[in-house]
Amino acid sequence: MNEKTPGAVITAIASVSLVIMVFLLYFLLQEGLPALREVSIRELILGFDWYPTEEPPALGMAPLIVGSLSVTALSALIAIPLSIAIAVFLSEVAPTWVQEVLKPALELLGFLPSIVLGFLGMVVLAPWLQESFDLLSGLNLLNASVLMGAMIIPIVASLAEESFQAVPRELRDASFALGATRWETIRKVVFPAALPGLLSASLLGIMRALGETMVVLMAAGGAALVPVSIFDPVRPLTSAIAAEMGETPVGSTHYHALFFAGLILLAMTLGINLISMWIEKKGKERWMA
Amino acid sequence: MAKDITAIEVTDLNLNYGTTHTLKNISMRIKSHSVTAFIGPSGCGKSTFLRCLNRMNDFIPSASVSGSVMIDGRDIYAPGVDVIELRKKVGMVFQKPNPFPMSIYDNVAFGPRIHGVKDRTILDGVVESSLRGSALWDEVKDKLHSPANGLSGGQQQRLCIARTIATEPEVVLMDEPTSALDPMATAKIEELCRQLKEKYTVVIVTHNMQQAARISDDTAFFLMGDLIEFGPTDRIFTSPEDKKTGDYITGRFG
Repeated sequence: MNEKTPGAVITAIASVSLVIMVFLLYFLLQEGLPALREVSIRELILGFDWYPTEEPPALGMAPLIVGSLSVTALSALIAIPLSIAIAVFLSEVAPTWVQEVLKPALELLGFLPSIVLGFLGMVVLAPWLQESFDLLSGLNLLNASVLMGAMIIPIVASLAEESFQAVPRELRDASFALGATRWETIRKVVFPAALPGLLSASLLGIMRALGETMVVLMAAGGAALVPVSIFDPVRPLTSAIAAEMGETPVGSTHYHALFFAGLILLAMTLGINLISMWIEKKGKERWMA
Repeated sequence: MAKDITAIEVTDLNLNYGTTHTLKNISMRIKSHSVTAFIGPSGCGKSTFLRCLNRMNDFIPSASVSGSVMIDGRDIYAPGVDVIELRKKVGMVFQKPNPFPMSIYDNVAFGPRIHGVKDRTILDGVVESSLRGSALWDEVKDKLHSPANGLSGGQQQRLCIARTIATEPEVVLMDEPTSALDPMATAKIEELCRQLKEKYTVVIVTHNMQQAARISDDTAFFLMGDLIEFGPTDRIFTSPEDKKTGDYITGRFG
């Protein structure tokens, strides 16, 4: 075997995945961009009417985009503080035996299929919401966000716990030796040191929420309206694609518009990724030499 | 003369890690405003003993301590002792430089801030005097707000010393503070130890016998959890009473 063979093999395998990525992007562009032939980009992104099966169809995706963003934001608002609290408890407060039980349990929860959560939303959460708040339907923004929150907590919490654990023992010792209490040590030393890790854990959870389909399809109510309260139903981009793709003729404007929705999702996750890279870089510049 | 006042008096101190008897009946008087060195081979208990003096062993659940350690006339192991106050009074510098991932200024101001100092002028003063006290001021005075991790290893260790003396302790414990440093940085820390005893009582653990001989007034030699010999450094190094001390110092084992 030649000296260069292993390197060449690894490069080839890595290139395959890169080629697949490029091909996926090409496919999305090829199927998505034709939508612009019949509808202006302004109308597509900023239009408030989504009636794709009318004649002529109204293909304004603003309600879908707002739907995606609102479910993502609300679920992040629910899940991130809880996840960080769980992570602090697991890493800094809980005795070892509790850690040993809770950490695997948390990770196991992360494997819960999203359809099971969606089902819970439909048969448990929705009727309860409907009764307690006297609503027309319990399938709404709040319901989907709570479920989505429950879905991303295991991911965010266990990654956050790992970033707390990664804070060196020496830093805690230094803080205690200066007379800091446990709480002061967590707040002023461990937390700031773990912050970049907490941010990337949170962004990972946010991206997961943005791309999740089944929970929103089942529990969000599915109305393509811009919500004015957390009890309004929404129809995020993912659930629109999932619900409508099978019903639309291949090559129609509606078909292309759904691919365009996929492009919008891709752009959003890319944006979040860029933000997280920027934050990480800023953090490094600030604290490292 | 302040030299003969006892700063720390240890009586019959025993420490067990689970069933391992790590420190056996240690008794000693550490003199105020002096440098006391603990020497001995790895695993002899010298670092563990050092950590008994500011109760850093409290964090090890399996460790149990008996006996007494009197500082300022109070037994630090008596019930109801405020560990926070104790650690403010008995500071500690660690083996590996461990500055917080913050600016140089915030590192030094950390202790005073958690103990309630908020006034900016007072903090500025404490930061400057502590950095001067650790012979770092001239090197960092123009970059107080840049990250502490940008300093060299030796500078980081002197920053940790500044951070420790910023809480105005009476005692400064040092756990092999130069073991991760190069000879030049080590020389600076040793010089600093000699200056620090003007204001503080310094207790230093070292695996480097020459270091103990160079900087300490008194030396304690530990072996397998026993305190073999304790006395003035020049006597320990020239005419040790115990044969084991002599063997260790002349490099016959360890």
